Amino acid sequence: MEGTAVTVFEILRFLIIHWKCDIEVSKGALLEGQLVISIEGLNSKHQTNALHCVTTIASAGSLFGGMVLKKFLKEIQSLLPRISAKLTWTSEEGSYSQDMTGVTPFQMIFEVDEKPRTLMTDCLVIKHLLRKIIMVHPKIRFNFSVKVNGILSTEFFGVENEPTLNLWNGIALVVDSQHYASRPKFDTIESYCSRIHPVLGHPVMLFIPDDVTGMDLLGELILTPAVALCPSPKVFSNQLDSISSVSIFLYGPLGLPLILSTWEQPVTTFFKDTSSLIDWKKYHLCMVPNLDLNLDRDLVLPDVSYQVESREGDQSQNMDLQGQTLLLFLFVDFHSAFPVQQMEIWGVYTLLTTHLTAILVESHSVVQDSIQFIVDQVLEQHHQAAKAQQKLQAPLSVAVNSIMSILTGSTRSSFRKMCLQTLQAADTQEFGTKLHKLFCEITQHQFLHRCSCEVKQQLTLEKKDSAQSTEDAPDNSSLELLTDTRGQAGNKRLKRGSPSVEEMRTPLHSARAPSPSEAALGGSDPTAAPLTPSGREACETHSRALEPGRASLGSRLEDALWLQEVANLSEWLSPSPGP
Amino acid sequence: MAFAPMGPEASFFEVLDRHRESLLTALRRGGGEPPSGGSHLASSSEVLASIENIIQDIITSLARNEAPAFMIDNRSSWENIKFEDSVGLQMVSHCTTRKIKSDSPKSVQKFALILKILSMIYKLVQSNTYATKRDIYYTDSQLFGNQTVVDNIINDISCMLRVSRRSLHILSTSKGLIAGNLRYIEEDGTKVNCTCGATAVAVPSNIQGIWNLVSDAKFVLIVEKDATFQRLLDDNFCNKMSPCIMITGKGVPDLNTRLLVKKLWDTFHIPVFTLVDADPHGIEIMCIYKYGSMSMSFEAHHLTVPAIRWLGLLPSDLKRLNVPKDSLIPLTKRDQMKLDSILRRPYVTCQPFWRKEMEIMADSKMKAEIQALTFLSSDYLSRVYLPNKLKFGGWI
Repeated sequence: MEGTAVTVFEILRFLIIHWKCDIEVSKGALLEGQLVISIEGLNSKHQTNALHCVTTIASAGSLFGGMVLKKFLKEIQSLLPRISAKLTWTSEEGSYSQDMTGVTPFQMIFEVDEKPRTLMTDCLVIKHLLRKIIMVHPKIRFNFSVKVNGILSTEFFGVENEPTLNLWNGIALVVDSQHYASRPKFDTIESYCSRIHPVLGHPVMLFIPDDVTGMDLLGELILTPAVALCPSPKVFSNQLDSISSVSIFLYGPLGLPLILSTWEQPVTTFFKDTSSLIDWKKYHLCMVPNLDLNLDRDLVLPDVSYQVESREGDQSQNMDLQGQTLLLFLFVDFHSAFPVQQMEIWGVYTLLTTHLTAILVESHSVVQDSIQFIVDQVLEQHHQAAKAQQKLQAPLSVAVNSIMSILTGSTRSSFRKMCLQTLQAADTQEFGTKLHKLFCEITQHQFLHRCSCEVKQQLTLEKKDSAQSTEDAPDNSSLELLTDTRGQAGNKRLKRGSPSVEEMRTPLHSARAPSPSEAALGGSDPTAAPLTPSGREACETHSRALEPGRASLGSRLEDALWLQEVANLSEWLSPSPGP
Repeated sequence: MAFAPMGPEASFFEVLDRHRESLLTALRRGGGEPPSGGSHLASSSEVLASIENIIQDIITSLARNEAPAFMIDNRSSWENIKFEDSVGLQMVSHCTTRKIKSDSPKSVQKFALILKILSMIYKLVQSNTYATKRDIYYTDSQLFGNQTVVDNIINDISCMLRVSRRSLHILSTSKGLIAGNLRYIEEDGTKVNCTCGATAVAVPSNIQGIWNLVSDAKFVLIVEKDATFQRLLDDNFCNKMSPCIMITGKGVPDLNTRLLVKKLWDTFHIPVFTLVDADPHGIEIMCIYKYGSMSMSFEAHHLTVPAIRWLGLLPSDLKRLNVPKDSLIPLTKRDQMKLDSILRRPYVTCQPFWRKEMEIMADSKMKAEIQALTFLSSDYLSRVYLPNKLKFGGWI
């Protein structure tokens, strides 16, 4: 018997595929709507020490308006033969109630018997699954409730007002860093940006081995990697070994999580070799797989996790609290010259989940090249920023020491008094501290590789939408089975001065290599995403640390230049073999 | 019994004496010495106050959240240089400046080094001690990188504060030599007598400090090269042409040598002649003594002696003396570029005879060292060439 989590995932997967393909959602539009998933468990009458679980997946509002329900049910049952759970549809065609807009809500129910512990695990798995989905479908919301023997727990998953990076084909990556990694313990708000800044890599075509049987694809599998550091420092540190872990997230077509979970299936053999995707030796890092599968976390659980091996050779359990995490997103999409059918997507998905290792092995060199390039870029930016900062620190220290030497050596009390008063320092020691701080503050913003978010924030302060004033939804997660302890990752949160869903723009990475100034100043700004010819997702890079006064003019100019450049690149946008 | 120094008879110096008279007349007509502009010899308290003012400005900028910066005159820009016959090259009053910003990656290092050297100067002035530019470099050679950086910053500071380098308590190492009819007392009381026969005296490092200069010299001869200077010493030139003073900067003169020449002129107002190779490099060295250099134009008033005359080796002498071709050297491309550059300089316009000599050199495309005269005889220079030039006014 299939578990609740697997069944929920399969249904959600089917729903999203159907939603995208058959309900004429325009290609670039984000899927929008709310789904309610509820599980009610009662002591089973047929099995001892088991709960009879009734899982309901329902839409709220106009999600699936226009869907032919009977057909949908027939299709899903034919595609999910493995699901032996009883799958029912509560509304017959013509007998369902309609809301004011004439749109049809729907409800699907299945029932399984499970052990309480299995149900508990499944609930955690479902939560992680939902988090993964909303990370790339930020306009989909989930209401997840579990009721076991009368005890109810409800949790809401949604990231609607969080900053995102528009990718392609109707998906967008949420870039709020708190979803991906914990901040280092020693961090203050000042040190790290609240967002990650993904760098998108060159899309590469995946090769399917000849011995992999299955469907004949009328298109190509394209893998697009994205890399980001999390948390992203506002001012870069000077140590690459502040990276303590790597998290790899796998997404299939239409932004569906590719592998359900690492505890359901073993990590693919391909990823067991930590150097299969990235050559870590060049950064003097030694990575080992992280097998700590802690479900009880608020963060989006990666599909594959590596840890930097400590010097003593032992793995620290909590290294992710101490350093940065390198996030690697692998988006596998299906491109075809023909309109893609739902069954085709389903088939591709099945192909990927069953033969992922073989496909990655077959395409190893192109995949590795693409990923290595952007990892090099991100870490190189890091390195360049650190060098620039070091270059700055030395002369500033010299300047400060020289001034202090004159001040402390002066016999003119009026001069000393004036200096102290100007900086409002009580004594020379405090004066020295303030002097150094002032020098750092004044010089840093000019040419340190500052996180561009701060510039953008200043530009978009006026664009706060009304949702900013929304307060946190009450936290009802007191369920015994769900042991979330910290702030809910998917819950609505007060905005922290950041605008609502914001499109961060990226240039075409493959169309041009970043110039040295961009590489040096780009911070962790996103770079490359395939674009639609319409230029709707035209990208620019905020590679210059612009002075606030000039930022808006600079970004408008860059917008215009990029739109012009993108308009000429339609032939690049059609699927093509990788590098 | 005191022996009078050997020297020509008094009539030998008639032309020289007349020349000196004309110089004095010109000086009187010009209203005496030109007013000292640019840098001056500031007192210690003035220097300390200037530095403290700079620090105050920096701190005030920081308190206003503005990145502090130094405004430095563009010393090495021709657009900031003017020529005056009485002074030579000097900086214009409203010259262009450049900003050394603390918030620019390109200039933050220099900004810091300026502050570093200012703090060192502050300590030197406060403690009334002196250091050479080399000493300063070696306090942190890694920080400074090379000597040129230190030299330039010191000059920039001198220009910025409008005080002489001496006032900053920074000395330059002297490499020059002096010999002849001259004695003086150094700042520490040491009595120096340059009448030493076969040996010469090093140019002192504290020119401003020497006093009680005494000399009967009829002229000062500036010799470009140490080799020529030594040759003249060996030939006992100072005694044969006594009373005279001979000085060499051993090539491009250092600041102290130039200061000493200036001091000799200011003190004695006797004719000053140069003996340089007949090549563009020699002419340029001569121009430095006479008109000053671009880089030190802000201190022109203390360094230049516009009254200097070119005694030899003139390009026209080469033809006149039938110096054989194999003693001549073709001008290199670099020589030609330098010659063209000198010909374009503002001061050449008021030196038609110099221009003519340079044009002879340009036309012949040949140069010669003073040593070329040895083809006639080994002591031709000291025995014939120079005495004749001095006796018959062979200078331009």
